[in-house]
Amino acid sequence: MQHSALADALRLVEPTRPGEAGAYRHYSLGAAYDEMFTPDGDVRPCYAELNRSIAQISSEELKRRQQACELSFLHQGITFTVYGDNQSTERIIPTDLLPRIIAGAEWARLEAGLKQRILALNLFLHDIYSDGRVLRDGLVPRALIYGSKHYRREMRGLSVPRGAYVNVCGTDLVRREDGKFVVLEDNLRVPSGVSYMLANRDVVRRAFPTIFRTAGVRAIEHYPQDLLATLKSLAAFQDDVSIVVLSPGVFNSAYFEHAFLARQMGVEVVEGRDLVVNDNVVYARTTSGLKRVDVIYRRIDDDFVDPLAFRAESTLGVPGVFNAYRAGNVVIANAPGTGVADDKAVYAYVPRLIRYYLSEEPILENVETFLCREAKSLSHVLGNLDKLVVKAVGESGGYGMLVGPHATRAEREAFAERLKADPENYIAQPTIQLSTAPCFIDGEIEPRHVDLRPFILHGEETRIAPGALTRVALKRGSLVVNSSQGGGSKDTWVLNQ
Amino acid sequence: MLSRVADNLYWMSRYLERAEHTSRLIAVKLEAMIEQSREDSEASWRRVVACLSSEPHIPSGPVDPFLVSQALAFDRFNPSSLITSLRLARDNGRQVREQISTEMWNRLNRLYLKLAPLNLATVWNEQPAHIFREIVEELHTLEGTAYSTMRHGEAWHFLELGRYIERAQLVSRVLEIHFGPASHSGSALNYLDWVVLLRFCTAFEAYCKVYTANIRRDRIAEFLLFDADFPHSVRFAVERISEALGRVAKGAPAARRAACERLAGRLKASVDFGQIEDLMGGTIDAFLANVRAQCEQIHEAVYTAYIGYDAETVL
Repeated sequence: MQHSALADALRLVEPTRPGEAGAYRHYSLGAAYDEMFTPDGDVRPCYAELNRSIAQISSEELKRRQQACELSFLHQGITFTVYGDNQSTERIIPTDLLPRIIAGAEWARLEAGLKQRILALNLFLHDIYSDGRVLRDGLVPRALIYGSKHYRREMRGLSVPRGAYVNVCGTDLVRREDGKFVVLEDNLRVPSGVSYMLANRDVVRRAFPTIFRTAGVRAIEHYPQDLLATLKSLAAFQDDVSIVVLSPGVFNSAYFEHAFLARQMGVEVVEGRDLVVNDNVVYARTTSGLKRVDVIYRRIDDDFVDPLAFRAESTLGVPGVFNAYRAGNVVIANAPGTGVADDKAVYAYVPRLIRYYLSEEPILENVETFLCREAKSLSHVLGNLDKLVVKAVGESGGYGMLVGPHATRAEREAFAERLKADPENYIAQPTIQLSTAPCFIDGEIEPRHVDLRPFILHGEETRIAPGALTRVALKRGSLVVNSSQGGGSKDTWVLNQ
Repeated sequence: MLSRVADNLYWMSRYLERAEHTSRLIAVKLEAMIEQSREDSEASWRRVVACLSSEPHIPSGPVDPFLVSQALAFDRFNPSSLITSLRLARDNGRQVREQISTEMWNRLNRLYLKLAPLNLATVWNEQPAHIFREIVEELHTLEGTAYSTMRHGEAWHFLELGRYIERAQLVSRVLEIHFGPASHSGSALNYLDWVVLLRFCTAFEAYCKVYTANIRRDRIAEFLLFDADFPHSVRFAVERISEALGRVAKGAPAARRAACERLAGRLKASVDFGQIEDLMGGTIDAFLANVRAQCEQIHEAVYTAYIGYDAETVL
């Protein structure tokens, strides 16, 4: 007994290092930047407090807390449904107990960069839906915009409240080998995941109550209030603004989030069938009759919003809502047509757009991107297919994609033909080693690759909750963080210091 | 409140009431079996099945308590089984997740997740009634959780409306089966059958407090139909229906509200002023059928007035 107490005490004084006996015996540092350890195996300052706690908690205790987290998700119904042969089962998106930690100073830089970016993107959207100055000046090719399937002609010449097209944005960032955060993707349509940011925080706060205080973690719980304030600021009148969350309904995989945000904001979740439009005014059907709606936070894709304006077969939308929007009688957030700016090809232009609209240098870099529509880039891509990831511009979710280093020679050759036939449809990027962070896997602490999705709100001002959704590739060595492909998530701490 | 939300809350509540009722009937019946003769037990099982309107889902031939319990509780294809009711209650609750408290939702969700994979065979040999008692307890806890964590506003009153419309119909049905034509019961009911009837409605102890342990047919009918203060009496349920209707859809036009309140008032008058002596001569089943029909009319009126109305008519 005495011996083990002494051992514990020693462990406290000198926490183990990666790869050595102790809590990190299965932790090996690779080529990727590690969030917790320097390449020499020293703990980075922002992880010091967590490291001290890990040294004090037994592996069994960690396991118990991990299970408590998972059970809590299940009971809250934070699940997605997997349909089997004759019975459907509900699974949780795995959540990892160990938080990902970002130092205060580093966050300040990210925050400034994200604010700059959303400002430029909103100016860009305003420009292409009005004068088209950026197109006239030849900075962005017209064909790229007018040819995009996310360009909404119906939005031309329409003035949106405060010029804010994108009100809720979820930007995906990754940390490169050199430790720099770079932007991988802007999600400007209906970004999701913020409920996981808040739910992860909720369970992790209960799992590590004491270090939470000592580490100086910044609060994110006010996100729903900020969202409400942002949506309210878009309304034409500020008294008694009626706000709703428009959801596709309970069968949508993000339904939990829609209900969660509505509950936290104190507003209603509605489905298309709950709304009616009369004389260009939108109403909700209530038990007491029809009640006017002023702001719609839409969580359905813009082409489904109104069967009269966009896809006629949509049953999720509200017939006539787009005309009510044009008439200024209702606000739709995000505005229809924002998808044109988070297209993979437009993404490559964002640093130039920041310089163009703001006359500033971009604070956050993009991942190096080759636009195959530019002849020089195309020849570079064709010559280096084995090192690059090539993506089709209009697709998402990994469709129409070639991962060069993992493809066979035949696959690369076939893809090269497609590329040459339609270069405008493709971009290429080098493969990036996403940074790694400690995760609790089967009772051991091991490194796994992670990304970062902070959420930016933009109304009368720009607000960013100091936190994010950190997605984790739970399979050893995997770089794919998508929940559909074995990804999980974890709480993200932004420290005061 | 959104009409769709009112619809979901109302049905969530009805299904929860149905689940609790089903569970309690099975539990009481399983507990009573020990003391019943083979013939009595069989007849009493048939009454349980009839009370739950599940005749088409029960295997024909001699009653096998396990198969009957399985069909009443866990048959997914039986639209009135316990598990179907709970699933529908949860589906409705999920659609109004932002309207009900987190404590309520977590409890309902946990109960469903616990029961959904349950195989009755694995618990049958120990104490078969135990699981059903536990479900009743869980549902009581859920009711208490709702009572103390949810705002008693319009949403709450739609829950009350659903619960008591369902309860008035379920209790009326139980009484019809026990007081109606002998074809239901097969043979004359004995002392134990009457005690079981009271237990079906959690009424045994409450009855004894009012009438002592002197178990009499007419007094049981009087208690379960007309007692003003017992939560599982028809009169109590009707009183609550009427009260809830007075407190939902406050902003709706007076004409639409009046249609609902008139029907509820009429039903309330018939149970407030009913006399058991008038019914025991043979008119009780007509009276009970009428109570059920009037509940159905109130349901229809609520839908017409507040939920399924045509938007064009109110613009």
